[in-house]
Amino acid sequence: MLKIKDIHASIEGKEILKGLTLEVKPGEIHAIMGPNGSGKSTLASVLAGNDTFEVTSGSVDFLGKDLLELGPDERSHAGVFLAFQYPVEIPGVSNINFLKAAINEKREALGEEPITAKEFLKRVKEKASLVELDNKLTNRSVNEGFSGGEKKRNEIFQMAMLEPKLAILDETDSGLDIDALRIVANGVNQLRKEDRSFIIVTHYQRLLDYIIPDFVHVLYNGKIVKTGGKELALELEEKGYDWIKKEADTVTA
Amino acid sequence: MDLAKEMTKEQAVLDSMRSSYKNAVPNSFDSLSNTSLLKLESLEFPTTKLEYWKYTRTGQIANKEWKFGGLENIDLPENLPVSKNRLVFVNGHFDAKRSSLPTAEGLTILPFAKSGIASTIAQGEEDIFRAWNTAMPQDGYHIRVAKNKAIQDSLQIVFLYSGQNTISQPRSFVEVAENSELKISEFHIHSAGSLAFANVHSEAVVGDNAHLKIDIVQHGSEKGFHLHETFGEQGKNCTYTQNTFTLSGNWTRNNSTIRLIDEHSECNLNGFYIPNLKEHIDNHTIVDHEKPNCVSNELYRGVLLDKSTGVFNGKVFVRQDAQKTNAFQSNGNIIASDTATMNSKPELEIYADDVKCSHGSTTGQLDDEAMFYLMARGLSKENARKLLINAFAEDVLEKLVNEDLREIIEDIIHTKLA
Repeated sequence: MLKIKDIHASIEGKEILKGLTLEVKPGEIHAIMGPNGSGKSTLASVLAGNDTFEVTSGSVDFLGKDLLELGPDERSHAGVFLAFQYPVEIPGVSNINFLKAAINEKREALGEEPITAKEFLKRVKEKASLVELDNKLTNRSVNEGFSGGEKKRNEIFQMAMLEPKLAILDETDSGLDIDALRIVANGVNQLRKEDRSFIIVTHYQRLLDYIIPDFVHVLYNGKIVKTGGKELALELEEKGYDWIKKEADTVTA
Repeated sequence: MDLAKEMTKEQAVLDSMRSSYKNAVPNSFDSLSNTSLLKLESLEFPTTKLEYWKYTRTGQIANKEWKFGGLENIDLPENLPVSKNRLVFVNGHFDAKRSSLPTAEGLTILPFAKSGIASTIAQGEEDIFRAWNTAMPQDGYHIRVAKNKAIQDSLQIVFLYSGQNTISQPRSFVEVAENSELKISEFHIHSAGSLAFANVHSEAVVGDNAHLKIDIVQHGSEKGFHLHETFGEQGKNCTYTQNTFTLSGNWTRNNSTIRLIDEHSECNLNGFYIPNLKEHIDNHTIVDHEKPNCVSNELYRGVLLDKSTGVFNGKVFVRQDAQKTNAFQSNGNIIASDTATMNSKPELEIYADDVKCSHGSTTGQLDDEAMFYLMARGLSKENARKLLINAFAEDVLEKLVNEDLREIIEDIIHTKLA
């Protein structure tokens, strides 16, 4: 589904990703862990098409398409979804109207008919309950005046509405208390499908208690330096990142 | 060369106007014009050295010959909301054929020339354009609502301007007497391709306990000039609301001055503007709190595209007597191109000590993060931009008195953003 090959990316001339390679197959859940500043969020932003980051070399193939050639909207139409670490507040833009516009633009790009009002409302009701999102919130301006937990639940709600093929969760767990974390994880688990893959970027192992990954990758200094199963996350939780850093630094030295 | 004999720019322009005025305008205006004609001799065109005209040049008006136009047969805009209470003015002439005056009890509507009004409530420093309008006025409306009458249906008033080097000086006066109510939607439309100068002067007197609400839509041409002066005077416990939508026009200057001369009244001045290409839009407001316990709200929002320029200058006076005044003013601007400019200046002069006054002015670009967020959800760049700008405009659109204007306004905004 997704093939990232030796990708290098920089911001304002500073290289953050330094040759990252990763393959994600349909239905797989990959966790990306790593110390602060290792490039985790950069990876998420680059995949979603945030142009503050410049990709200097490497390639990303998504379902046979050159992902790096597509704008953020086209990536979304192709099935990529990014749950933001810091969802943006947009006063005056209604959550519901914006989602309807987003769904219909995607449908148009795929040559489909616009969603009917009935079908749309049914989906809103169904998906909002998935993350226990209050009806009032779905009708308000995008993220305006939402609590931290409500913002993250709104991200998962939007993900459910847009039905992506690849969902990237950028530190969705950060700032969440245990109840909110459970709700978010539960929402994600219900969205797991054979042909839907997830990349879960996180600093802590906690979220992975609820969303069981198939692979855990450790990102350090812009590269994946270690890959393992879910037990690797537990090991990191216990021992921290220092041993990984040491190992990696020895190899490069 | 004898410099003393050389005509000044002002005299040259005046001469060209005067010769056509006599033909174009009925004699009824003579009483008003004779006294004020004298004043004209001493007034000069303002330059950018004057604070009041710092960012708006008048040279393009000063260096042309202007002639009064006739009652041309110009089409009304197709998407004009349907109204059975319509007044139409063309180049300063009342178009009786296309007007349908309502016959509500207590409502008097006349073309200005027939009103016999020979006075003005305008105050402040003499200004050449105001003096022109006073000396050579043309038809606008004279509307009077009698005591205790709430006029249900909104009045639609359409001013059309056309021709080349055509000047129009409509003069209007509206009086809403004690405990009465009136709503107006006003259009000022310059024909495409015309080079007209509309020098508009309107006055409003709102009586005790009365309510006057006006929406103004300005749609200029790519070459024309639109100067729009409104003066308002508010009595006790009354409301005056004015929403001005400047949707296009090469050069637009709006001067709105409201005096709160009694207690417990409310004044709302709102505006939205979206200039593109090299359009220039200047909003000057003065709200004068002369008595205690009044509220004023000002909300102006602008989106500046291409090489356009915008000006906002909001002056609020709170006189010594005006304790317990609440005055709020906000001007927000989105600069949607690298080459657009905005000058925004709030001016508060407060002489009372127990008042609440606030003002805010923000000018910035479209929020990059919000743009990326919307695009990451599948919205095209164009649609994301539209959505953000519409949300911004909505702050003012929601103040509309006449909801049926929304479509015509939104249509033009969308066309400009396309």
